[in-house]
Amino acid sequence: MKISYSWLTRHVDLSGVSAHDVARELTLSTAEVEGVHAFLPHLGDVTVGHVVERDKHPDADKLSVCTVDVGQGEPLQIVCGAPNVRAGLKVAVATSGVTLPGDFKIKKSKIRGVESNGMICSERELGLGEEHNGIWELPLELRVGDKVAAALGAQDWVIEIDNKSLTHRPDLWGHRGIARELAAILRRSLKPLEAASASWSAGKTGEIAVRIETPNCSRYIALALHGARAEKSPLWLKRLLLAVGQRPIDLLVDLSNFVMLDLGQPNHLFDRRRLSADGIAVRMARAGESMKTLDGAERKLEPSDMLICSGDAPVALAGVMGGESSKVEGDTSQLVLEVATFHPTVVRRTSTRLGLRTDSSARFEKSLDPELAPLAARHLVHLLRTEQPEVRVVGTPTDVGDWKSTARRVPMRFERVRAMLGADLSDEGIIDILQRLEFGIEANANGACVVLVPSFRGTKDITLEQDLVEEVGRIHRYGNIPERELEGALAPPPRDDGWKRRMLVRRVEDRLALAAHFHQLVSYSFVHDGLLDKLGLAATPHVTVQNSIAEGFSRVRRSVMPSVLAVLESNRRRSASVALFEVGKGYVPSEGHEPLEVHEVALALCAAPAKKDARFDHNSLARLKGVVEDVVRALGLEAGAWRKCDAAPSWANPGRCAELRIGEVLVGEIAPLEPGLARALGLSGELESDAALARLSIDALLGAAQRSKLYQPLPQFPDTLVDVALALPEERAAADATAAIERCGKGLVAGLELFDLYRGPNVGEGRKSLAWHVVLRASDRTLTDQDVKKFLERVEREAANLGGALRRE
Amino acid sequence: MTYAPARARELLARIAEPLRAAPRSPELDALLARLESFAALSDEQLNAASALEAAAAPLGAMRAIPGPSRGLVGATSNELKKLAEAELAAQAERAAQAALEAERKASDFDATLPAARVERGALHPIVAVTRELEDLFTSMGWTVLDGPEVETEEFNFDALNIQPDHPARETMDTFWVATPPGAPRLVMRTHTSPVQVRAMKRLKPPFRAIVPGKVFRNESVDASHEHTFHQMEGLVVGKGISVGHLIGAMKTLLRGIFGREIEIRLRPGYFPFVEPGFELDARCPFCKDGCSVCKRSTWIELLPCGMVHPNVLRAGGIDPEQWTGFAFGLGLSRLVMLRYSIDDIRHLLGGDVRFVSQF
Repeated sequence: MKISYSWLTRHVDLSGVSAHDVARELTLSTAEVEGVHAFLPHLGDVTVGHVVERDKHPDADKLSVCTVDVGQGEPLQIVCGAPNVRAGLKVAVATSGVTLPGDFKIKKSKIRGVESNGMICSERELGLGEEHNGIWELPLELRVGDKVAAALGAQDWVIEIDNKSLTHRPDLWGHRGIARELAAILRRSLKPLEAASASWSAGKTGEIAVRIETPNCSRYIALALHGARAEKSPLWLKRLLLAVGQRPIDLLVDLSNFVMLDLGQPNHLFDRRRLSADGIAVRMARAGESMKTLDGAERKLEPSDMLICSGDAPVALAGVMGGESSKVEGDTSQLVLEVATFHPTVVRRTSTRLGLRTDSSARFEKSLDPELAPLAARHLVHLLRTEQPEVRVVGTPTDVGDWKSTARRVPMRFERVRAMLGADLSDEGIIDILQRLEFGIEANANGACVVLVPSFRGTKDITLEQDLVEEVGRIHRYGNIPERELEGALAPPPRDDGWKRRMLVRRVEDRLALAAHFHQLVSYSFVHDGLLDKLGLAATPHVTVQNSIAEGFSRVRRSVMPSVLAVLESNRRRSASVALFEVGKGYVPSEGHEPLEVHEVALALCAAPAKKDARFDHNSLARLKGVVEDVVRALGLEAGAWRKCDAAPSWANPGRCAELRIGEVLVGEIAPLEPGLARALGLSGELESDAALARLSIDALLGAAQRSKLYQPLPQFPDTLVDVALALPEERAAADATAAIERCGKGLVAGLELFDLYRGPNVGEGRKSLAWHVVLRASDRTLTDQDVKKFLERVEREAANLGGALRRE
Repeated sequence: MTYAPARARELLARIAEPLRAAPRSPELDALLARLESFAALSDEQLNAASALEAAAAPLGAMRAIPGPSRGLVGATSNELKKLAEAELAAQAERAAQAALEAERKASDFDATLPAARVERGALHPIVAVTRELEDLFTSMGWTVLDGPEVETEEFNFDALNIQPDHPARETMDTFWVATPPGAPRLVMRTHTSPVQVRAMKRLKPPFRAIVPGKVFRNESVDASHEHTFHQMEGLVVGKGISVGHLIGAMKTLLRGIFGREIEIRLRPGYFPFVEPGFELDARCPFCKDGCSVCKRSTWIELLPCGMVHPNVLRAGGIDPEQWTGFAFGLGLSRLVMLRYSIDDIRHLLGGDVRFVSQF
């Protein structure tokens, strides 16, 4: 909202207080000021001139050559194209060197061969409105040589207030409200409003008949005026309106706007000749109804819209915009002034639905004080009669509605205010602040009182003692409250599930980012339909938002993996190898309940395809498996066992998917990226990749068995190293063979490392050769050749049992 | 005694002398001839290596030496051997020292050659800063809480004193989850504040808690607006908690973040779930007299905060007459951007490794 500094001075004496001071005071006590800027700084450069002589341009019919006295040195010769320029006028002159709005720099020039030393300006050229039929004729009493701004009192500053910081303050939506705050803050008095003392007698039945047929209009004042003319507004009015960004139209429209911007009370003028003799009705719209608003648009109405009707015909969308049919035309002298109080939510819904946010709807939305309406009506009449004394109020104004005063009585305890603020304020200090804000104090006894909240603060803002704490605090200034340390028993946070999860997640992140050198992602929770489609999950139920940020982005991930897949290709394109992980949440919908929340880690390792003759563990899958095992070990869990996964997730190559179980707990899966999905994601051709993915469930890891961490005595006797190679049927798992070798050791196997996997002619079709480095060790003696021999004999028998054979060099 | 050819010659003579007096034999003659051939070498040729060879001759032919002479010849030969060996060892040591010296005076060194590549990973900056804040607060006895991103309308709005007809519910800012008719309405939480009431229902006052997490707003996205971003809620409930405590806690928070004292100011701000409500500004840590970060105002709007509204305490089952509290909502994404001078919020969740790897 734009506030004019000079407008404020109509309501409060601001001597010694600059616009920037006002901005600071308001910021610290009332609302957020977004900025302060000078209004039309150009006017400060433009000079009042006197047209001494005017001659016709020798070479152009429409141009004049003027001699203009600007109060300095010789009069200037200026060429002017305006039809209304004539000798004797006082005009606004931009001399050479002055810059006008639109970065228009005035220079000496020749116009059709005649020298021109400046420009005589129109109002539009000065940013003062649309008037461009001729030059601006200044009042003749202005002094030649003065700057126009100073001469007209047009020097002003515009203070921009963030509307959001005023949502709870309907009383601040006009200059008088802001001035009232400043008066309270600065300990100055608010100037009385002249209109407030004007006599006012209205009745339920008056000149204009009004029927309210809906509870959404609590007060409606209608007042008939005779004799008003839609002439040009006086300069002071135009200037103030321009300062706050309103385009002056004519006196009637301008005064209506002025009153709204002055008091915060919207109002509307109807052409009485175009209203039905049946008077005005306020009612909700009927299904199928429509009307044309002032902006010329045909609006389809809904039963939630409130209408002002003439007889039964809609003439205004209540609180939002007037209708085309009752628009005040230039030649009318018969007006009806409407000042009403409409329900905030009804106005907001209509204006939101129609995308029609007006100055009026913005104010009604905030819950206006019904007692403001008659004041605004009188204010407008007073201002109108000041400009056009012949204007008369016809008959008795009508004032109907079952409004109730919003003034309230709120009990308050002084000690509570002090305790809540932590401020050392006396009872008197608290009372002083409240009284400056126009609150009353009653029944002050035993450290408590009743605060009388004025109607303009009681519509919704001040209802509780706590609200009064804010009033006292903000005027006292929060900066005057001393800071305090929190006190209390210090105890470590409870080691509950949340704490355990957080600690586990940290260890996982550290292991992955700092030990395994993976990059951590934090991604959107929304996942694109296109990706879900590629994953074959398009039909799977997802938590879905009704109003997505973009087409196809309505679904919330069930698992973290899609988020990692979404950025795999783009990162792979930039780098030969990509190692990513994300720890996050997924949501599984649960009919009629809050969705189930799952905590997961998704990992991706993606590199150029492995070389054909690479060692069996030189590929992404094996590397990623190592990373997962390292995480499990770092978490202090039992190693668990891998086995082929029968229910592979949709991202996994189903033929090559393994699952990890610790005890019975399934903690996750690992697999090469599903080959069709790899292609769909663009990881083909030049970007052909060896990509492996893994998912770990944080929830499962939290429940998995812990590995024993008891100390084992260090070996006393030397290791004996033996290499064992077995030829085995393809379907025989490495883990089975490893277990068999361990059994053969009868407790002597201290370590096993698979170092070769071979398939080829030497072992035959359907078979593979696996080779291990085996460490044998006894805890009570040094092993002999005999021990090794017996071990290998047992391995040979076991290999036969597994359908294979021990390979001898 | 150091090695010298003259000394070697002298020892050779002392070896040969008893041999010449001894009874002749072909082996002895051969030995004598060999000793003489060494004695005949020039000083130059009779170096430590030759001397060692010479000493080896009698030692390798002891059987050819008559008994009485063996002791003397053996001892003298050993003396020559040791002398030669000591000289050779000294020469070797000198050569080794020279090599070390040469290595120290390397001329093929380029200090700017690149290092061998070491793989590196990184924590996401949001995670790094979240951890920093968690550690700061837990060290002061605060608890870290978590809450669901898909939240009920009840916790996201009602319990927070946001009235049913409050614009915030209806505006497009809220992502509404499609729910079957009659079922409780769900939203993507618009702030971390719903966890305030969840915390009140779970924890007994007094307590202090922070809640870092993801929040969602249906806003058009640009360099400074994202539809998904991170916040950190803070909540303290206790006896006699006042605005003064809020100010103290916020100053501690800023000291923790910026590592030094930062001036703050509270000014009125309106949020339905706090009363009084504030906007907290921090004196711009990046400038003294205005910069682009603080938009030339020297103040940075850092976080909304306030005293917990009695209706919110009530919704959490806490008696507002007995207990009071304060709450704040730190813009974690914004703090991360401030901390690392990130100029586009979209990098945070954009999933580009080149971004994450910088941290």
